[in-house]
Amino acid sequence: MSTLKLDGVVAGYGQGDILRGVSLEVEAGSVMCVIGPNGAGKSTILRAVSGLLRPRAGSIAVDGQPIASLKPREVLSRGIVHVPQERSLFPQMTVWENVLLGAHVLGDRARARRRIEEVAERFPILRERRNAHAGSLSGGEQKTVELARALMLDPKLIMLDEPSMGLDPKARQRVFTTIRGLNETGLTVLLVEQNARAGLEIADEGAVMDGGVVKLRARGRELLDDPRVGALYLGAPITPREAAPEPTR
Amino acid sequence: MHLFIQACILGLLAGGVYALMASGLTLAFGVMRVINVAQGAMIVLGAFLSYTLFTKAHIDPFVSVVLLTPLMFLVGVALQLVFIRPLRADEREELSLLVTWALALGIEGLLSVLYKTNYRSTITSYADKSWRVLGYHLSEVRVFAFGMSVVILTLLYLLLTRTEFGRTVRATVQNPVSARLLGVNVDKVSALGFGISVATATAAGAVFGMVTPFFPGSHYDLISRLLSIIVLGGLGSLGGAIIAALFMGMAEAVFAAEISPTWSSFTFFIVLIAILLLRPQGLFGTNERGAL
Ligand SMILES: Nc1ncnc2c1ncn2[C@@H]1O[C@H](COP(=O)(O)OP(=O)(O)OP(=O)(O)O)[C@@H](O)[C@H]1O
Ligand SMILES: [Mg+2]
Repeated sequence: MSTLKLDGVVAGYGQGDILRGVSLEVEAGSVMCVIGPNGAGKSTILRAVSGLLRPRAGSIAVDGQPIASLKPREVLSRGIVHVPQERSLFPQMTVWENVLLGAHVLGDRARARRRIEEVAERFPILRERRNAHAGSLSGGEQKTVELARALMLDPKLIMLDEPSMGLDPKARQRVFTTIRGLNETGLTVLLVEQNARAGLEIADEGAVMDGGVVKLRARGRELLDDPRVGALYLGAPITPREAAPEPTR
Repeated sequence: MHLFIQACILGLLAGGVYALMASGLTLAFGVMRVINVAQGAMIVLGAFLSYTLFTKAHIDPFVSVVLLTPLMFLVGVALQLVFIRPLRADEREELSLLVTWALALGIEGLLSVLYKTNYRSTITSYADKSWRVLGYHLSEVRVFAFGMSVVILTLLYLLLTRTEFGRTVRATVQNPVSARLLGVNVDKVSALGFGISVATATAAGAVFGMVTPFFPGSHYDLISRLLSIIVLGGLGSLGGAIIAALFMGMAEAVFAAEISPTWSSFTFFIVLIAILLLRPQGLFGTNERGAL
């Protein structure tokens, strides 16, 4: 169990800041779903947490321990795993090799082999397509293998960046069911979703990102019914809950 | 026909050595997106080192390979740390060209001072010996050189496919961000990868000095050939580079035998231009990075 806490995180690529003071808390054992328009900085949050990007200001902590200056492999060893938005399998390696690499930081091949058998119980496709090149799998199959690989280290917190992107309705449903199932086994989930309805439905809490800050935070279902969320998706600016009432035009 | 087959044999044997030379180049490109234009100079350096060990200490070049490759592996790691690692990731491809070109000129300059600019050859006792098989000549040196290349390439293949380090190398080639997210130490992989690349150049250089006269400026010709090979093989693909090297070696030898020895070194560029017009991704290149 672990609680992830971001406080005033500022980060970016090259010059400008993309995250401009992001504060967010993901409670142990919960599912947090972050939504928001393209370019809002959702993926950038995950990159900052996993150590791909070093924040310029603010703090990131897990169970009170700061992790903002750690390298990706150190973040991994704290039980935090990041499944990026882009395809992340190694296309010319087999499915089995890909998943085994999920346990690379263990430095213990024998343990990795035992673990992959456990993971394969849950994801039969690992055995069915064991020797297939990962690049030859369909998008949905690849997503499943990515999820399986992320579980190799038996993480405490999993960060999923738009896991349903490009999937057909059935595969999408399967992904959400899997996420829910993982959460029921005690895994904390930080989910970024463009598919706001489906994401918020399985989430305990939701957050809306816009322009590099968290604009709204509420319980998942409440956010679903919030008219301001609708406004956001129509492209209109939203005002935070605690700010002054919306000005009339 | 006899002449044609003899040329093919000769070309195949030379192609094996080209394959070894190109393997390091394509590996460095795959892992770091670094086009190491100093690979030719590294080969020439290897040739001079084994030449010196042979003339001064009477160590056979095939023995000196065993001594020199681990040493040059370390030198390669050091070069990567000093010259390539500091380059910013987003401009590494372009800047690495300049940096490694400077390295090539530096090595050439150093060798010119130490050895002057005349041609050398590492001539062993078996240099002129050859076997006759079914009426064809098989030069001993060239067969040994080919054999050594096959052995080293096999070891490289096993390293890449059977070891955890090899898997991290391939992972880095195929998706560097994803590799980092899985905890792969990409900096370490890059440094060791460059070391391996320089080690293969050294090994290739030792045998190069036995089959071809060389001088400090030989690297210009070598690097042009090697670049043609890896472009033909599909940048970053080891298997592609090997096939392309064998193909180029044979094309050159056949051209020399059947048409004109003077113009045979142009074969590389004629083939390259023809292929690039017809198949820009290279003969054996795929659009995916990191095919073995
Ligand atoms: N590697 C990068 N280098 C430079 N700028 C980047 C990089 N990655 C993202 N950006 C910029 O950062 C901003 C936020 O990107 P981010 O990927 O976090 O958005 P997002 O909210 O995940 O969007 P989407 O819904 O499209 O995935 C964008 O304007 C993008 O152009
Ligand atoms: Mg994104």
